[in-house]
Amino acid sequence: MNNDSLEVRGLTRTFGDLTAVDDVSFTAPAGQLTGFVGGNGAGKTTTMRMIMGVLAPTAGEVLFGGEPVTRAGRRTFGYMPEERGLYPKQPVLDQLVYLARLRGIAAPKARAEVLDMLDRLGLAGRSKEHVEKLSLGNQQRVQIVAALMGTPRLLVLDEPFSGLDPAAVDGMVDLLAEHTARGVPVLFSSHQLDLVERLCERLVILKTGRVMADGAPADLQETGALRHRLVVDGDAGWVRGVPGVHAVDVDGPVALLEIADDGALQRLLAAAVERGVLRELTPLKPTLAQIYREVTA
Amino acid sequence: MTTTTPTRPEAQGIDGPDRQDDASTRGAWLVVMNREIVVRALNKTFLVGLLVSVGIIAALAAFMAWQGSKTDSFTVAVPAGDTVAAASVTAADAVPEEQGGGAELTVLEVPDDAAARAALTDGEADAWLHPEADSADGWVLTGEANPDSTLTRLLTAGVAQQTLEANAEAAGTTTAELTAGSTLSTDRLDGDAVDSQTLFFASFALALLFFIGALGSGQMIAGSVVEEKQSRLVEIMATAVPLRHLLAGKVLGSSVVALAQNVVFAAVGLAALSFTPTASILPSLSTSLVWFVLFFAVGFLGLAALYAVAGALASRTEDLQHTTTPMTMAIMGVYFLTFSASGTFETVLSYVPVANVVSMPVRVLSGDAAWWEPIVSLLILAAFAVVALLVSERAYRGALLQTGGRIGWKRALGAAG
Repeated sequence: MNNDSLEVRGLTRTFGDLTAVDDVSFTAPAGQLTGFVGGNGAGKTTTMRMIMGVLAPTAGEVLFGGEPVTRAGRRTFGYMPEERGLYPKQPVLDQLVYLARLRGIAAPKARAEVLDMLDRLGLAGRSKEHVEKLSLGNQQRVQIVAALMGTPRLLVLDEPFSGLDPAAVDGMVDLLAEHTARGVPVLFSSHQLDLVERLCERLVILKTGRVMADGAPADLQETGALRHRLVVDGDAGWVRGVPGVHAVDVDGPVALLEIADDGALQRLLAAAVERGVLRELTPLKPTLAQIYREVTA
Repeated sequence: MTTTTPTRPEAQGIDGPDRQDDASTRGAWLVVMNREIVVRALNKTFLVGLLVSVGIIAALAAFMAWQGSKTDSFTVAVPAGDTVAAASVTAADAVPEEQGGGAELTVLEVPDDAAARAALTDGEADAWLHPEADSADGWVLTGEANPDSTLTRLLTAGVAQQTLEANAEAAGTTTAELTAGSTLSTDRLDGDAVDSQTLFFASFALALLFFIGALGSGQMIAGSVVEEKQSRLVEIMATAVPLRHLLAGKVLGSSVVALAQNVVFAAVGLAALSFTPTASILPSLSTSLVWFVLFFAVGFLGLAALYAVAGALASRTEDLQHTTTPMTMAIMGVYFLTFSASGTFETVLSYVPVANVVSMPVRVLSGDAAWWEPIVSLLILAAFAVVALLVSERAYRGALLQTGGRIGWKRALGAAG
């Protein structure tokens, strides 16, 4: 069991005049899935490349288990780069064993492990095929094996779910869950917000190189602008006159409201009771997509 | 020596000192080299190219053997009863091979000019030797087109000899008296049997071996580097092993393959030559080839490293043509300069890397080089290879992980920490 977390402190990278990553700090806790979200050019890939030591940071540091990451440390990290590709003309098994050997795993052990993982991803019969003969989804699975072999202590996966069908996504989620279960922090980037919402225990939202939000999805939902749904008898148009209450939408007896503070809430309740029957007043939690749109707006 | 590599990541210690990481990655270049050799040796394009080249060498040797055994033969028409013309042809026929002769000349007597022209048009005769209308002006050699140059040369001498004899007789003396003491023979101190034609052929063959080996293998290295870069495989590998291990494995692996290829070519060439009349030069040619293989091994290390950088400077396979241009030009230059060079220029080239890979073995073959010359030249080449490797290691590290368009040497060297 390992309980080391990944910590990124003040990571900055400039390319000429462009600051691609600007003072980014966050933590990917041990045993948790951390989702890395942001639009194109937000700096996700650049940050991941710096974590993996592929790109030198202009400033800032990467810590694992509280200590700066060394080359030896990075050898034990599993990494899946953004653009996929393997040796197109080499058989699947051969190149996975080659990559494993570069990471210091002995050939027989690497072979056994690779074959086992290919089997679990439904590629058992295709280990001798050339990578270029596989479908894109299957090539992606081979890449996943490349990242997961050798019992990694940290997983950094750039868009691991893109191009996978729902069944493959579930298979992948199960695989990742095994790694978080043994205490490995997993950092992955994705454009699929629904997936991130479903999977992640932690979320980092990036925009133009800066961290816009960082925390558990539930916490982020709390901090977002809370809305209420109000249902009364008769037309709810009167809500527009209550001080401190902003009517986002009124449709007959149903209104969508933003309430400034507790005082405004009390005034609203009093007004509703005065006018007749109050059927419903529910706080609405924003979806991740809403939070994302809000913080990156 | 085997390095015991910890297979359990826990055993490595994520924050271990750098000494430890060196120990764990020490054999990485061997793993890379093995892959490079296996993948190259099993590559269909490479194998087909190798077979085709071996075929070309064998065919060339067969052609040489045929050329050597073949003698030129000509039929020369002369006016019937013209003894001087007939004697000239016979004299030309008698010139031995060592003096530039060795051709077979046959006399065909024709009754008149019309018959002579007919014989030429029919192809019965290759040329027609007849006196000028005013015989004091000498002789004419008529062909259907231009008469063959060898035939013209031989007959010019033959006619001159006959005319000289006739004139000498008229003057009351003999040719022997007139030409007494005028013979010139050649002698050489080194006693080497390699003639200029063989030497030219050998330098052409060595230049071609260098050209095929260096260009073919160089392009393959550049291609395999950019393949890894374009697919981001190199990012996965860079997190596992130091980049210089990748470079070392690649350079050594492809050098082994390129060298093996040249050894095969040289062996096939030597074996084929042993069946030709030029077999007498085999001992000196073998010595020269051994030097060539040595020079190639050292010189190609440097070239391979530069080609790896050319691959790293590119971002996509399409950029390769541009980034490998300097190397391609240099190799083409070596090819064209070395097989045609002679004299002082050749001596200079035999010390200039990488032209000396071809020029020095050629000078060894011609017997022109003193024993110490190839050694000094090889040391110069080794110095070049070391400098090329050091500079390349830096540029490779600087360029390999940069994406987005072609990268210049300056930027690559500046980016490496």
